[in-house]
Amino acid sequence: MLYIFSIIVFVCVHGIAVSGLSLLTGYTGIFSIGHAGFMAVGGYAAVVLYKNLGVPFLLAVVLGGFIAVIVSVILGYPALRNKLEGDAFGIVMLGFVTVVRVAISNIKPVLGGAIGITGIPRLSSVWLVILITVIMVYCMRNFIKSDYGKNCMAVQQQESAAEMVGVNPLRTKLRALMISAFYGGVAGGLFVFYATFISPMSFAEAKSNDLLAAVVLGGMCSLSGPLMAAGILVILPEILRFLAVWRLVFYGLAFILIMLFRPDGLFGYREISFKWVGRLYHKIKAGIGERQKRTGRG
Amino acid sequence: MDGKTALLDIDHMTIAFGGLKAVNDVSIQINKSEFVGLIGPNGAGKTTFFNSITGNVSPTGGGIVFDGHNLTKKRPDQISRLGISRTFQNIRIFPKMSVLDNVTIPMHSEPAYSMWAAMLGLSKVTRQQKETEKRALEFLSDLGLEAYKDREAGTLAYGLQRRLEIARALAASPKLLLLDEPAAGMNNDECNELAELLRRIYKNYDLTVILIEHHIEFVLKLCDRIYVLNLGQLLAEGTPEEIQSDPEVVRAYLGSRRTKQ
Repeated sequence: MLYIFSIIVFVCVHGIAVSGLSLLTGYTGIFSIGHAGFMAVGGYAAVVLYKNLGVPFLLAVVLGGFIAVIVSVILGYPALRNKLEGDAFGIVMLGFVTVVRVAISNIKPVLGGAIGITGIPRLSSVWLVILITVIMVYCMRNFIKSDYGKNCMAVQQQESAAEMVGVNPLRTKLRALMISAFYGGVAGGLFVFYATFISPMSFAEAKSNDLLAAVVLGGMCSLSGPLMAAGILVILPEILRFLAVWRLVFYGLAFILIMLFRPDGLFGYREISFKWVGRLYHKIKAGIGERQKRTGRG
Repeated sequence: MDGKTALLDIDHMTIAFGGLKAVNDVSIQINKSEFVGLIGPNGAGKTTFFNSITGNVSPTGGGIVFDGHNLTKKRPDQISRLGISRTFQNIRIFPKMSVLDNVTIPMHSEPAYSMWAAMLGLSKVTRQQKETEKRALEFLSDLGLEAYKDREAGTLAYGLQRRLEIARALAASPKLLLLDEPAAGMNNDECNELAELLRRIYKNYDLTVILIEHHIEFVLKLCDRIYVLNLGQLLAEGTPEEIQSDPEVVRAYLGSRRTKQ
């Protein structure tokens, strides 16, 4: 049971971080190869706030999110103002996650250096994590559907035209970066208080790749697609565990096939919809009604 | 022009890219409600001229004043909100968005509610969106695009994409509309139709228009006044009749065949 619970928590934590990254990469078109850096900042900040300053758990997690936002501004404002975009911004983020990992590894006093911090109480329960995930994903959905989200899409698809009709691209991009950093930070905090330990390797480059993979596989300009992909990317390695080393091969193969046949991702520019369930229901109901009529006549 | 304060006053503007002067010491005044043409051979600096007005390129010398505002230090989005709107030579719609969303973007470039309200999904957000959609539909029906409102903009036919770009430019409620080769790639019938359309929106929306176009008949038919650029310099300025008979313009751009008419 504990195993299932921990997988659920991993899925939720990934879901939060991926929904944030989906806004930044999927909707606003800014590649971030280092998003786990925000999870690391949020996670460490939450732990330090809780352990060293006695801030209550949930408040510490939220404050960790805000500290990630501050870091994102320090990082993003100069980069985005100078119109670094595409691969260039991706490299900035790659540098960021590496710097965070190396820096933390070398700060012994409070952050514990390369060993990290252990003995953190398990304060995020499964239900709490699920609740927070649902709330945060719901807020993200609203944001994306609002005019703010549409402006993000406009900047992604044709920045010069968006600028020409009054959208401030710098502000739009920075806003997306800040929100996604907040989501990353909170995800990191929640994870740490479940895993009970944090080390520089908890949120390193590999984790960043997982997050980006979920967004790219799930689809650009989609929220439900990346969320589903995040779930699959957490669960699939568990299912394929019996394949041992070979699972990485299947993993890679799945990537190649999806990129080959669906370059916009599984749900690019669409959302997973359950309308077909309703339609099916009505069809079946109509079918039953028809049959009843027929048998009644007969 | 004749001592009145112009809506757009470009004063001895120079734009240099390194050693190349794309626009060289050009002064142009455009009054409110004028329909002005800007013609010239390829590479004359016409689009660069537009780019400087909209803030994409900053002039290396001289000034641009629009409606009392100095534009030289302003960003494109600020200039847009002052009331300058444009279409592009190569169409730049938002290809993966619906036709309707393409037109609503200029109306909520700065949403009327906070991002917190947006995240919580407050009722004022949906109310606001309904409002902008209603207004956007008016623009679409005015340009005959209503039937396509839910189509993905990138799948529209070329001519319709051009119209959509004009609709989007109008949705930003401009005072000055810059049209960069709107008739490019169109046949004669389509040109005539577009000319009718432009004349109509020019009247209905009380616009001032600057038009770059190579279809010379199109320009002569629509414009009150024409500027001719050649190699970054102003070659001539005048009414369509004056331009047609200007020997220098004929030599540089129109070709000598026209003088025999």
